Amino acid sequence: MTARPSPHHFVPDLSFVFAQSLSGLTAAMFLFLIASGLSLIFGVLRVLNFAHGTFYMLGAYAAYQIVQWLGTGPVSFWLSALGAALGVALLGGIVERLLFQRLYGKEELYQLLFTYALVLILGDAAKLIWGTQQKSLSRPPGLSGAVTMLGATIPYYNLFIILLGPAIALGFWFALQRTRAGRLIRAAALDRETLGALGVNVNALYTGVFVLGSFLGGLGGALITPMRAIVPGMDTDVIVEAFVVVVIGGLGSFWGTFLGALIYGQVLSFGILFFPRFSIFSIFALMAAVLIVRPWGLLGRPLR
Amino acid sequence: MTRLLTLLVAALLALPAAAEAQKPIKVGMPIPLSGPAALFGEPASKGAQMYVDELNAKGGVLGRKIELIIRDSKADANEAVRVSRELILKENVDFLVGTLTSAEGPAVSVVAKENKIVFIAPIPKTDQLTAADKLHPYVFRVAATTTIEGRSAAEIVSKWPVTKVATIAFDYAYGQDVTKAFVDYIKKIKPSVEIVDQQWPKLGEQDYNPFINAMMAKKPEAIVSSIWGGFFVTFSKQAKALGMFDAIKFNFIGLGEAGSPETTKSMGADYPVGIWGNSYDAFYWDESSPAHRDYTARISKYLKDEYPSSWAIQGYIGMQFLAEAIKKANSADSEKVSKALLGLTVDTPAGKLTIREKDHQANRGQLYGKTLKEAKYPFAIMKPVTYVDPTKFMD
Repeated sequence: MTARPSPHHFVPDLSFVFAQSLSGLTAAMFLFLIASGLSLIFGVLRVLNFAHGTFYMLGAYAAYQIVQWLGTGPVSFWLSALGAALGVALLGGIVERLLFQRLYGKEELYQLLFTYALVLILGDAAKLIWGTQQKSLSRPPGLSGAVTMLGATIPYYNLFIILLGPAIALGFWFALQRTRAGRLIRAAALDRETLGALGVNVNALYTGVFVLGSFLGGLGGALITPMRAIVPGMDTDVIVEAFVVVVIGGLGSFWGTFLGALIYGQVLSFGILFFPRFSIFSIFALMAAVLIVRPWGLLGRPLR
Repeated sequence: MTRLLTLLVAALLALPAAAEAQKPIKVGMPIPLSGPAALFGEPASKGAQMYVDELNAKGGVLGRKIELIIRDSKADANEAVRVSRELILKENVDFLVGTLTSAEGPAVSVVAKENKIVFIAPIPKTDQLTAADKLHPYVFRVAATTTIEGRSAAEIVSKWPVTKVATIAFDYAYGQDVTKAFVDYIKKIKPSVEIVDQQWPKLGEQDYNPFINAMMAKKPEAIVSSIWGGFFVTFSKQAKALGMFDAIKFNFIGLGEAGSPETTKSMGADYPVGIWGNSYDAFYWDESSPAHRDYTARISKYLKDEYPSSWAIQGYIGMQFLAEAIKKANSADSEKVSKALLGLTVDTPAGKLTIREKDHQANRGQLYGKTLKEAKYPFAIMKPVTYVDPTKFMD
């Protein structure tokens, strides 16, 4: 190509750096929302749920569907997002109760094959219901504008996502540390047998965790609709990204996922300045580096 | 006795020939039916099927019916090659019409060359498909090319009161080729234009915010994008939120069919109305030929869609060229049909199109226009919509 201007001509100013870091932060908080569900399920159930991306996609489609039913009122988007997340959580519960429970303790290959089969089946089901045409939802009425900060245009919706991420992280942390259910979940992640021997209904606990993880995946999908097209195949893109995030942060580590998402977002945002045509390269290089130095991720702990 | 024997022998000899005439001509279609590209692959396959159904209802071609066998290529070059081989070896297809992405087209072209089977590509645009070093007797294209599309865009942008232009395209064959065609041509016809920035997200990127910020930091006055299909929906939603279209006063042209009815329809009120786009077809193209309006009415009925897809026409035209070539060759033999396709002119719903002898490329252009909103439709349309004849851009 003849006309590529040299990147050296351009000295990034403050407003650009600010805009770019907020872009990275928005992407990070979306990814955290999705990856936290994946990480939570892995941390407790020791199952890498490849269908988590599909739950995200179903959340997006369900939100679209509910908006079609409710019309475009001031709260219809929020009701739809909540309804979609609850619907996906319910589906997660059914899948866990009827199918997943047969797989615990089996070889990991079976679990992998099973979750992959779920990806294909649910993906085709979505195509049967909603077709192959792309769908799209508008930003909710209150958050459709943007604010100018330090010379950069920041959409309100992005700010909402940036605030939502830490809110969910703190809420979770509090629930895990301070509630009985949280203590049980942490205990189950460490030693399932002992917990069962102590009379705790581990099966119900597992279902609960799976429902919660699916809820987060579905919520992520519903909340991304104002930013992305709803299309078949959106599940496979996001599962790879979420997977990279939890690998960097440490599988099963809650704050690790948060940190992994933050790093992912910023590396992607600023990576394009240094490697304009290889932005995705920087993130995978980082993942490889983390895997070499700390195979269990930045904040993870080595598996027994 | 001798005469009786002769008759008997003649009758026996005629039997297989008669059976041969009754056998359908098999056409294989590898095309994406799953993933984001199914949005185009599925209607394109329906357009081809409608042509075949209509032709068979009239008795087929050379007295034989056409049987269309459609397979999902998953928008993946390896998968497209695999299903094409399967169609040839297992289904014994006589011809291939299909593929969608600029990765699939050249890959299947190699299969066609190996098996000496005519292959007509209705959608892939990359110049490499019919470039001199890749061309062989069996590959033909009825889609526009990246040269045609890039130069058409350059001609439109050259008339805008802007000099600082930025580009954004996916970093693979189609994106690179169309951007290069645009840049080279606009520098030729309007030397005052300066390309201030070029962004290359990966194919299928979901988060365009960093790319848009980086582009806007260079203060362009116009932007040329070839982010296509469903990806354009994602891109333009994020661009709109960041105020990109306002900042460049809607001096934006979306190649890769960003003006197609299915894209504007899916975005509704979120579509950045006022930008330029392109499309292979538009059901609202009222000034078109009677043949096109008739086609529109038929495809609308066939797809049971009041606002039918703009991609069906490409499958339709691909099949139409094949059937006309079989008729001209008076044979379903690929050797003869490939010769018949050279210089063949067909009256398609998109007008008279001719496949050039030198590069096996049809003079297929696209519709271009500035988008606006009309009360008649619940989504943006291109108006006035103009068919840009590509003949002058092809060399």
